[in-house]
Amino acid sequence: MNTFNNPLILGAIFLPIGGAALSLLLAQNRTYQHFIGLLSGIGAWLSTLGVLYFNLTQGPQVYRLGGWETPYGIILVPDLIGSIFGLMASTVVLGGIIYALGCKDKCVTYPVFMPLFLCMAGGLHGAMYTGDIFTLFVFIELMVMSSVVLVAISDNRLGVEAAIKYLLISALGTLFLLVGIAAIYATFGTLNLADIARKLASGERPLLAQAAAVMLMCAFLLKSAIFPFHFWQPDFHTTAPTPVHAVLSSVVVKVGILGLIRLTNLLFTAEAPLIRSLLLVLGLIGIFFGSLAALRTYDAKRMLAYSTFGQIGFILLGIGWGTPAALVGAVVYAFNHALIKSSLLMITGAISSRMPTKSAKLADIGGVGKTLTLANILYLLGGLALAGVPPLNGFISKVTLIQGGIDAHSFLPLILAVGAGLITLLYMIRTWQLMFQQPPAPELKVKPKGDQLFAPLMLISLCVLLGIFAAPLVDVATDAVTQLNDSQIYITSVLGH
Amino acid sequence: MNVLFAITTGILFGLGAFQLLRRDLIKAAMGFYILFTAINLLFLAVGAFDGVVPAYSTSVAGGKTPSDPLVQALLLTAIVISFGSYAVLLGLISISSRRYRTVDPDSVDQLKK
Repeated sequence: MNTFNNPLILGAIFLPIGGAALSLLLAQNRTYQHFIGLLSGIGAWLSTLGVLYFNLTQGPQVYRLGGWETPYGIILVPDLIGSIFGLMASTVVLGGIIYALGCKDKCVTYPVFMPLFLCMAGGLHGAMYTGDIFTLFVFIELMVMSSVVLVAISDNRLGVEAAIKYLLISALGTLFLLVGIAAIYATFGTLNLADIARKLASGERPLLAQAAAVMLMCAFLLKSAIFPFHFWQPDFHTTAPTPVHAVLSSVVVKVGILGLIRLTNLLFTAEAPLIRSLLLVLGLIGIFFGSLAALRTYDAKRMLAYSTFGQIGFILLGIGWGTPAALVGAVVYAFNHALIKSSLLMITGAISSRMPTKSAKLADIGGVGKTLTLANILYLLGGLALAGVPPLNGFISKVTLIQGGIDAHSFLPLILAVGAGLITLLYMIRTWQLMFQQPPAPELKVKPKGDQLFAPLMLISLCVLLGIFAAPLVDVATDAVTQLNDSQIYITSVLGH
Repeated sequence: MNVLFAITTGILFGLGAFQLLRRDLIKAAMGFYILFTAINLLFLAVGAFDGVVPAYSTSVAGGKTPSDPLVQALLLTAIVISFGSYAVLLGLISISSRRYRTVDPDSVDQLKK
């Protein structure tokens, strides 16, 4: 049993939250505030990187808060999959902070923006790392509340309406989660994930535990905006400020994905075939609905929000097939999609920040990017990566996922998914042509200055790098899946026996 | 005692769900809070034992059953979180009612356009 408490785990969660508190104290001075935001973002990123490194060398890391014995106290357990998701989250969050520094939106200048953004980041990292189902609820609520306020203060006047809508719907998700937690506590008398997994594995399986599985699954589906709980996502994400939209649409939706992976591979392993077959169907619905809706939508930002449905659908297919190869595909896909989607959203935001009205409607935005060579190249690269064209990282994720499908001998969903994947190419190329290739409308007054493109440049370079040198990510994902399939590793590293 | 908890939780759930579906955002917010209260009661009911004295006190030694401290800790956290969400929700509704001059959710529909 690993009794060492790795302080890096705390760094990933409490550097952003501490930075939020500090930047609230310095609310009068925006330069200091942004400096603290950047510093804690970099600190959190380095911490998540360190946690991943220690995971690879020493096995799952554990932090026992307050030094309590394991089944009783609150613990943070970034195992390999948790730390991969944590690294993904902190990379995108760092990109979002850097984008916010060069953002021309009015809401970025509000004194509450940076503290809220950092709180959201802390909640996000905590939700990826926690080994305790009630702490998961606390971190998810921290994330949801900060993102709701961030959307409500958005420059888009519709933000308040979208925030009310999401807050009510997310409250229902929270209710599902809480009822699930109560049912689990009533059945097993514990909230520790490893302890629940051990008790479930011993064959003790009352009806209430299965009800808890349903409740938890509903909550995770709602947090990830998966059919039939998807309807809030385009409104809520599209009205958000650009840096927030980039984080919401790419990594916040992955919290539910990690929850689903934990549900099928750690907790309810006996019920997993049933859950997986459901996820397969929901994934296929998501792929078709998301791709077709993205094709028919009228707004460049909204199109990317719809496209998230489709991409989440691909990840669900990987979890649904459930074989080791398919899970590797799902993990790689989740990581790569976060980088691609956030950078595409940032570029779209940068283009629409040059519009006098800040809209991203396809009817207005045509040709605005004609003179911006850097944005043009980045958007094309991102679009091709999203569609899965070699040698970009989207291709690697599609290939690993298809290998998983072949491995699972599930050919009908595979063919449907690959066919629907081509729609991605269609809508990305169409939007790219519209935004960057045709001359702008003559009466349109394009602003000479817009948002800085450093953050998307950084993320797209990562995309290209991960496309050319794909082996490290795929290897780490393979290790993570090996660890996932033997849930005893997780249980032993937490409980010790 | 457990039957009483079950009936109360059920009634509160029904009330909350009904209020949440009303065509009035303020009543919906109240329904939101009633639902959370129902959950809090549910948490209290799933405690490991129905004790009458606090845990870690001297009266435990006197042979009386202590109450379950964990559910009380969970309950406090859940109350704080639901209270905060309720405050934010009411604040947002106050802004939107001033902007749209109504609290009917069917009239707050700019997003559809």
